[in-house]
Amino acid sequence: MVTPLEGRKAVIAKLGMDAHWRGAIVIANALRDAGMEVVYLGHVTPAELAVVVVQEDPILIGLSALSGNHLTEVPAVLDALASHGVGDIAVVVGGAIPDPDAASLLERGVAGVFPTGSALGPLLDDLARIVSEREARGSLADELPR
Amino acid sequence: MGTVRTTASGIPVPVCAGPSTVAPGLEDRLGEPGGFPFTRGLHEVMYRERPWTIRQLAGFGSAADTNERYRLLLRQGATGINGVFDYPSLRAFGSDDERAASDVGRGGVAVDVIDDFEDLFAGIPLADVSVSLVSSQPIGAVPHLAMYLRAAQRRGVDLHQLAGTSQNDFLMETAITIAPLALPPQASFRLECDLVEFATLHLPRWNPLSVTGYNYREAGAEAPLEMALVLAHGRAVACELIRRGHAPEAFLPRLSFFLCAHNDFFEEIAKFRAIRRMWSHWVRDELGVADERCQRFRFHTQTSGVTNVSRFAHVNIARSALQALAAVMGGTQSLHVNGYDEALSIPTEHAALTALRTQYVLLHESGVASATDPLGGSWLVEHLTDEIEQAAEQVLAQIETHGGIVASTENGWVHRELARQAFDHQRALEDGTRLVVGVNTQLEGPDEQPAPFPLPSGTVEGQRARIATVLERRDSGRAEQALACLAEVCRSDENVMDAALRAVDADVTLGEFGQVFRSALGTWEFPLW
Repeated sequence: MVTPLEGRKAVIAKLGMDAHWRGAIVIANALRDAGMEVVYLGHVTPAELAVVVVQEDPILIGLSALSGNHLTEVPAVLDALASHGVGDIAVVVGGAIPDPDAASLLERGVAGVFPTGSALGPLLDDLARIVSEREARGSLADELPR
Repeated sequence: MGTVRTTASGIPVPVCAGPSTVAPGLEDRLGEPGGFPFTRGLHEVMYRERPWTIRQLAGFGSAADTNERYRLLLRQGATGINGVFDYPSLRAFGSDDERAASDVGRGGVAVDVIDDFEDLFAGIPLADVSVSLVSSQPIGAVPHLAMYLRAAQRRGVDLHQLAGTSQNDFLMETAITIAPLALPPQASFRLECDLVEFATLHLPRWNPLSVTGYNYREAGAEAPLEMALVLAHGRAVACELIRRGHAPEAFLPRLSFFLCAHNDFFEEIAKFRAIRRMWSHWVRDELGVADERCQRFRFHTQTSGVTNVSRFAHVNIARSALQALAAVMGGTQSLHVNGYDEALSIPTEHAALTALRTQYVLLHESGVASATDPLGGSWLVEHLTDEIEQAAEQVLAQIETHGGIVASTENGWVHRELARQAFDHQRALEDGTRLVVGVNTQLEGPDEQPAPFPLPSGTVEGQRARIATVLERRDSGRAEQALACLAEVCRSDENVMDAALRAVDADVTLGEFGQVFRSALGTWEFPLW
């Protein structure tokens, strides 16, 4: 069975000076095993990330944050994506994210938040759902008169 | 017999070990506590005479904020300082760097100028309290130590009085933690050895290196890889110092190590015992050093952060206590216990003090501090000690095949192994081979997440103002000269520490140090993916 993730592209990035790579690389491996093409960027600024996203045209952007910089960096990424005209791409965040912060990121437009200890199986299911929803929304938008 | 059970690192565990489980010749492998090969501990009488050092990690916000936390911990019974720096400071980025802004004061204290080191240790008797500077990366460790030494000297403390540690581990810079613009492994290793060499000559009570097995483990290594990376790294430093003309007796007694206390109780105790034995054998048999002071593998231990779970966070108190118990039964020299909320944020005061008091429960209430090597002679633990030693020897041989620790980092072997083992660990959680409360079992029930630690606000602005004040007051010609001199020394094979101290005298900032190191030594993209 082909899942919504197969053959699609994901961009994974770290922000600011956060030093932890384990979560980002584990997820990158899991996405690759699920059939995705993964572009792992390491550290980027929000503006650098937006430029790559325009070039690579991924279906999904994964941000990893374990230093506590998420409330500054993630909204900056959303703004940078919007200003580069790619604000509709799904952004998910994983890492050391307390519940109240997760709520505020979701409100701000992030499609999913995966705190430390999230199991990969349900996480991949969630990502598949997020990608499907975005695609449905995207194809609907394509049908609308411009 | 049931299904085969293995330790966290995959070593088969006998259902019920007995005398025949243990290979012959055990007495030679054990020796006596306090003597070669130190399997049973570094001292004949361990904690009865001198408890392990209670060294709780602390650092956040500004130097003044962190100084307050240090003093609180010391008042409440900590017996050493364990000071961690924020992400930009660890990498020698200034708080005024655009990429640093969102991480200033996070995960550690922000330091930019010598004034920060003066404030950080204000009111703390530096000749009496041992101070561990968790300056994990050599690019930051060199300027941090230079600033620390000058700050101490300005207070009238002599260099020979200063007791403490620089973490100073090139693997932290090039494999374990990531950041933009890392130094190449060889350059980072050179700075590390420069610091070790300087301390060998000038700082008799300073541990100039704490080989950071803890972080190797946290990045994904299983126990044998943790051990092998630590030993290969320690050996490489020793060989480099000998190559530079130093007698092993001059520096080996000051090398120190840092290990993780992970979940698997007996395996971890076996690990602590085996690694002492392996190090002492190498020093005696390969380096030919008979002096037992040189053969001692002295280590700090921290309970495992990655084993902590955000769901049912208070359960982390139980996890950390069990891990700490393994560290004590394994004969650690000093210990940090994690706060229960560290899967969410840096610890609140409540979590930090609970962790501190967990240490006192072990020390005063559990009875384990009364006996040296309490599990020595346990068939199971002796068997696991032998098994894990063999497993670590095999990994060491692989590192040698790849050209030693520096080359294994340059060619990406270290990164690949860490990433592979981290992913294997995750898969074992997915398929239920490993069960973790709140992750893949015991998921139901109400959970009140503790409120995350509220970081003080205004740290970035405060640090920027501080940098501006220093730039204003300093003799800019002198600072430029000191920076040029530092760059020149970096490009030579001279030790950088003297030039670093002169740069501190000229009020050079940490961010400027970083710029000089990166431009003079180059940068490197590390092979993670």
